[in-house]
Amino acid sequence: MSLRVLQLRLGLGACLVALLLIFVAIPTWVSSPSNVSNIVLSPTFWPYTLAGLTGLAGLGLVLSSRVISPERSTGDEEQIDGNPWIRLAILAVIMLATMLLMPHVGMVWTAMPVFALLALMLKTTHRVTALVCAVLIPLVLYAFFAHVAGVAIPQGDFVRLP
Amino acid sequence: MSFLDSLQAGLSIVSSFEVFLALFAGICIGVVGGAIPGLSATMAVALTLPFTFSMQPITGILLLLGVYKGGIFGGSIPAILIKTPGTPASSATILDGHPMAERGEAGRALGMALWASCTADLVSNLALILFAGWLASFALSFGPPEFFALILFSLTIIAGVSGESLLRGALSALLGLLLATVGLDLVYGTNRFTFGNPNMMGGLNFIAVLIGLFAIPEIIAMVWNPKAHLGNARELGHSKVRFADYRRSFKSIIRGSFIGVFLGSIPGIGAAPSAFLSYSEARRKSPHKDNFGKGEIEGVAASEAGNNGVAGATLIPLLALGVPGDVITAIIIGAFMIHGLQPGPMMFVLNVDIIYGLFIGLIISSAFLFIVGSVAIKGFRFVSDVPKPLLMPAVLVLCIFGVFAVNNNIFDVGVMFVMGWVGFLMMRYQIPAAPFLIAFILGPLLEDNFRQSMLMSGSDPAILLRGPITWFFWTVTVITVFAIARNIRRAGSA
Repeated sequence: MSLRVLQLRLGLGACLVALLLIFVAIPTWVSSPSNVSNIVLSPTFWPYTLAGLTGLAGLGLVLSSRVISPERSTGDEEQIDGNPWIRLAILAVIMLATMLLMPHVGMVWTAMPVFALLALMLKTTHRVTALVCAVLIPLVLYAFFAHVAGVAIPQGDFVRLP
Repeated sequence: MSFLDSLQAGLSIVSSFEVFLALFAGICIGVVGGAIPGLSATMAVALTLPFTFSMQPITGILLLLGVYKGGIFGGSIPAILIKTPGTPASSATILDGHPMAERGEAGRALGMALWASCTADLVSNLALILFAGWLASFALSFGPPEFFALILFSLTIIAGVSGESLLRGALSALLGLLLATVGLDLVYGTNRFTFGNPNMMGGLNFIAVLIGLFAIPEIIAMVWNPKAHLGNARELGHSKVRFADYRRSFKSIIRGSFIGVFLGSIPGIGAAPSAFLSYSEARRKSPHKDNFGKGEIEGVAASEAGNNGVAGATLIPLLALGVPGDVITAIIIGAFMIHGLQPGPMMFVLNVDIIYGLFIGLIISSAFLFIVGSVAIKGFRFVSDVPKPLLMPAVLVLCIFGVFAVNNNIFDVGVMFVMGWVGFLMMRYQIPAAPFLIAFILGPLLEDNFRQSMLMSGSDPAILLRGPITWFFWTVTVITVFAIARNIRRAGSA
């Protein structure tokens, strides 16, 4: 991607975020008491100020993109095996599943397949070691946090650890 | 309390086996973390943070400081051996360190890196001890308008010097400030972006945001490109650093240490610019300037002195003003908060024992760094052999446990994941994450001081310019903004 395109996209994105904040998000999700005597002390003042400044930064990025040479690259060209978007989608599903499973299955039992799946996705050549680590690391962390730090690690509804 | 009383109070809390063990362990973790390309000193500190929750404040904070110092030195090991800096601060070390490794003098380069690092670390720690107390006593006279101007200046400079584009840095800081508005309003207690979720009423958990921003994007980046971070390590060779090398480079080491101290004490600049400035100064003044870039040992010494000189000095604004000097000290501020401590001038009055305990621990850390570093140089091959496809899943699992442990709340794990994706997008779009995190930490403080100033003055904005201290900070802020504008013009004409 050229630096010009990157800067332009960022600038437009920032302007869009600022407009959404000013016209949708702040009026809807920031509540202010009706008896605020001074606008400067209102709970909405700070978010509006920041949203305005974000819009200005976005405009600055858009304007500065116009003077950047189209040949200037971001310098992040890389050779990637396979389809990285599919891998990212799988990772997003793993994260979502982690959130959903953790309260019911328990943190330790959820972490084990998460470890193993991620190791496989990263194309590990040490599959046996990965499986051993997938079992041992969550157990060791559980032992530390539950028994040394006194944290109530979620145990889940099925198998409870001592 | 006199100096001797303070020193005695500090000694009483650090003189235990547990504290020394934590400091030593911290340096070991840091050196290993810094030495593994793909991890970094920042990530090592972030991942260690959850383990400090159950410790005494001084033990936990010294553990983290050990990781910080170890991590900065550890970054030089892969920089020299595989031409990949373990931390951004070690980028300048590559310039002469790797050519030395190619000549079979990796052991000599690493030895010099260690000696220069320890010397600079000691100088930096002494500067911290000398200046932090003085600055804190000066800052005791600061009121809300002064703190507002100071924080604004810090954010401006952080946004200005992080990353390649000043505007992208500013955008990052603004997004961090916006995220910090989530939660109940500080004055009226009304909801701001809480979406009716009680988990968000106290604001987003700081640890979840920082781990999400600094550890998870590395994992996502590895999923994006599993073959990144691969490199071939050079052999150490048989040559070792000699005292004559150290003596020859001593001037550059001391100069680099002072550059590190000066730049480190300005919030936001960090170790990488310091290392490059120290390196370029050494090249300018050296009689061997033609050898720089081709494997000159003085170049390694200068860049390592520059980046390690920052390590103690970044704690000056943190301890004296409550403003983190860089991302790592922003994480360390989390350890203070977890233990109910608020860094800043009042800490020198209320928790003087902890302040002096930290000073003593930091001085000892320089000696520990020398011992651990000497062993780490020889053992790097074992560290570099840790397969990344096993390391990254371990980091993810550690993040999940660590973030949950802060509040016993699964919601925080979700925040961490979301921030991880935000961090990855920022990485792809070359938006620096440091201004985002520091703005997220300083955001509530900035708003609080602004509103207090307005309450004090009956909403008269003139209070923000009420005296020489505010004038000073506003002037340097304007100068920084002016530099930003000039940079944009230059970028346009380039």
